[in-house]
Amino acid sequence: MVAVSPFDVLNSLFFTDILRVIILGFLGFYAIFTIIIVRQVDLMSRILITPVSPIVRAFSIFHAGVAIGLVVLMYGFLR
Amino acid sequence: MFPAFVKHPQNFKFQGQDADEEIVLVIRAHPITNLAWIIPAVFIFLIPFFVPNFIQFINLDFPPLSPNFSLALLIINFLLVLVITFEGFLNWYFNVNILTNERLIDVDFSNILLNNQDIAMLSDIQEVSPSRAGLLGLIFDLGDVVVQTAGARVGIDMIKVPRPYEVADMILEQAEKAKETP
Repeated sequence: MVAVSPFDVLNSLFFTDILRVIILGFLGFYAIFTIIIVRQVDLMSRILITPVSPIVRAFSIFHAGVAIGLVVLMYGFLR
Repeated sequence: MFPAFVKHPQNFKFQGQDADEEIVLVIRAHPITNLAWIIPAVFIFLIPFFVPNFIQFINLDFPPLSPNFSLALLIINFLLVLVITFEGFLNWYFNVNILTNERLIDVDFSNILLNNQDIAMLSDIQEVSPSRAGLLGLIFDLGDVVVQTAGARVGIDMIKVPRPYEVADMILEQAEKAKETP
């Protein structure tokens, strides 16, 4: 009889499927969160007009772009 | 670039500023308060470097995940660091108090879904209470300034701002000027 380690479950198909859903779900929520950040930074940049505001706004858009890109990338990567 | 205490700032405006309204002071929480998110961010950043050694140290027979999943988890870890850092910075940068020659404005960015503004006219200011407490307050000269206005109108709290007594002096000075002006 072959001894089965409890850790073998980590490499089982079932476990990797669950992990895939968790990772993609996390990245999906993260992408939505970054879009909310973009909106909020946009509103705050209108309230406080400083030389730094456009930089912060640009970074928030870049951040959202990276997050959305990662969802697509990981969807293909984890198949 | 990101000062917490600026007198008569140049290149700084706010929504609703009158043409003849002059900004006297812009104040944020003391930069040292940012340690509250910097320390967790650094800790989370370092986790991937320590986890393999820790697993080895406790002699856990843990089979490695496939490289794709390991990379995905590593990316999630760094995304967490990124969001803690960015959110922490935004929380600090957009939580600002503005003292003008007409009013005192408290812009709050409590979290990503809530922002709030309290505005007190200088002529309504009744009492300004600065306080400095704790070891950090003593070392870095930071504390709270509570501004109370007439009646049940808005009260403004400035939390962990640098030089609280100087801030209180400046508010009172501007309030006196505003009351003298007809």
